[in-house]
Amino acid sequence: MKLLEALQIANAPQQGDPFRALLVTGFSPLHLETALKAHLRLALAGRTVTIQTGVFGDIAAGLEKADAGSNAIFVALEWADLDPRLGWRTMAKSGEEIVGDARARLDRISAAIAAAARVAQVVLSLPTLPLPPIFHTCSGELNRIEGGLRRMVYELAASTRATVLHPESLRAGSSHDLRTDLLNGFPYPFAHADALAAGLAWLALPVVPKKGLVTDLDETLWGGVLGDDGPEGISWDLEHHTQFHGLYQELLNLLSDSGVLLGVASKNDAALVEKAFTRRDLAVRPSQFFPVEAHWASKVESLRRILLAWNIAPDAVVFVDDNPLELEQVKSAYPTMECIQFREDDARFLTGLRDRFAKREIREEDRLRVESLRTGGAVLQAAGNPASLDALLAGAEARIVVRWGKQPPDARALELINKTNQFNLNGERFDEADWNAYLADSSTHLALVEYEDRFGKLGRIAVLAGREREGRFDLDIWVMSCRAFSRRIEYQCLKVLLGRWETVRLRFVPTERNGPIRQFIGEVAPELAVRRDEFDSRCPPLYHQTESDYGQYSTTG
Amino acid sequence: MGNTQQRDDTRQRLIRCFQAVFPKLSESDALRASANRVTEWDSVATMNLVAVVEEEFGVLFDVKEVEKLNSFERYLNRLSPGV
Repeated sequence: MKLLEALQIANAPQQGDPFRALLVTGFSPLHLETALKAHLRLALAGRTVTIQTGVFGDIAAGLEKADAGSNAIFVALEWADLDPRLGWRTMAKSGEEIVGDARARLDRISAAIAAAARVAQVVLSLPTLPLPPIFHTCSGELNRIEGGLRRMVYELAASTRATVLHPESLRAGSSHDLRTDLLNGFPYPFAHADALAAGLAWLALPVVPKKGLVTDLDETLWGGVLGDDGPEGISWDLEHHTQFHGLYQELLNLLSDSGVLLGVASKNDAALVEKAFTRRDLAVRPSQFFPVEAHWASKVESLRRILLAWNIAPDAVVFVDDNPLELEQVKSAYPTMECIQFREDDARFLTGLRDRFAKREIREEDRLRVESLRTGGAVLQAAGNPASLDALLAGAEARIVVRWGKQPPDARALELINKTNQFNLNGERFDEADWNAYLADSSTHLALVEYEDRFGKLGRIAVLAGREREGRFDLDIWVMSCRAFSRRIEYQCLKVLLGRWETVRLRFVPTERNGPIRQFIGEVAPELAVRRDEFDSRCPPLYHQTESDYGQYSTTG
Repeated sequence: MGNTQQRDDTRQRLIRCFQAVFPKLSESDALRASANRVTEWDSVATMNLVAVVEEEFGVLFDVKEVEKLNSFERYLNRLSPGV
């Protein structure tokens, strides 16, 4: 982006809900502010983006401007913030003592970041400017004192609650413009400011990660063709110059551990695939793949079956194949699915793939996902027949725990709200600041629902939140993971609410994707409100053992 | 490109720069813009204008001449002198 374009985007008329950002820099924020505003506005069409800036020369004081109204806080740290002698505007020769002085300032900044992170998401960039020539060593040598300073900021990166922009993600090129630094206190060339702003905005507004990856086998998961080379002839190692396939397997292993669903779609002999999967040197465990569609039917058919088993939308899935024709056919059948050609010996293929599934935290539910899908297959099959579903649920020994409470905030609740599409009352999304503000309202109640049965544990799979008004409950938020479908958990949730309140009103808004909840509401609350007695007459038999946990005290029913 | 045509081209590009920094200016307002006439023309706007014009025209202004660039006309004369 050029500055002219950034100014045009930043200054164009805007409307919609406010998005308030705080940009904290020790230098004059000038074009970084413009670029950040432009990038935020591009990512947040339909919102009014405003940027408040910090205090010149004092990062910690700037962070004190953060309040509950801030949606995101951006901190661009530079060396001069640790000690003015480390900046080009006031450079001065320094000795070992500068490390101690910088440590004291950095500790103050670190404490201020921790305080700000309690009210909103903080995104931090580490120093990007070169140090001025204040040491005796030449610029090609990493000076010992500079090494100490760098270690200090990396220690901050390792311990802070802020999201830290990876220094290597910034575009190569000069980060310093001494002329403007001296002229007006803005140290960056615009290209660097633009790259930094784009990175900061990206971290504050991450895209929803994909949920599943479907991979081809021959010349993709491994080098070689199973039908020609046999299970012992395929490879993924240095000796056969097929190590890149091994790296791909390692990546799939990592993704699986973080809860990504892995499936296989391969035109292959099923018996040969089964045999190949017994090889002990595979980096990825075959049990991590579910389902495995290995046969001679079309890939489109394989993808159809996999989507059915996973019960997720095509746009949440990435399909990887080495054959452009297969990719094209799948793309035609599922236009919203991301279809990526396997690119051998291309590091960006691996990092790009990882980025599509990236998440900041791995939760227990991520580890449970694949296993619960396997066991859920029986439930889904039975769902088509009410009699067999009743028999299955009656013997499932299901246990539901409804945990009420807003403090301390459970990040899983916000994660579920922001990624659930199908069973979602109105599709509303929240950023951390909006969510905290919603919970801060004394009339709001929040419940997180956990489920397990004899087939396994699903973990925290539903969120209900709303406000108590004149004896009734206005349900603002209701989401449930698609893994929990067909177990009548949604009925039990509503029953729990109606155990506390006589009437529940649902703030339902139809979306393109929330068909499942629309159908459910049509059955039990077509007027978007339901009384206890009405619900009892509409509810099918429930077999769960339920427990409500109110924190200090709990009731079992 | 003749000198007159070149100056017209410079004028149009300069108008775009001024309108990017001062979005409320019409084309004719931009032509008459100066630090005295445009209330939004403060020190931050000065730096924005300098940077956007430098970027657009691939020039670098001397630090000392920046303070003299206080009107559309002066920018135009600096970028396309002698017509």
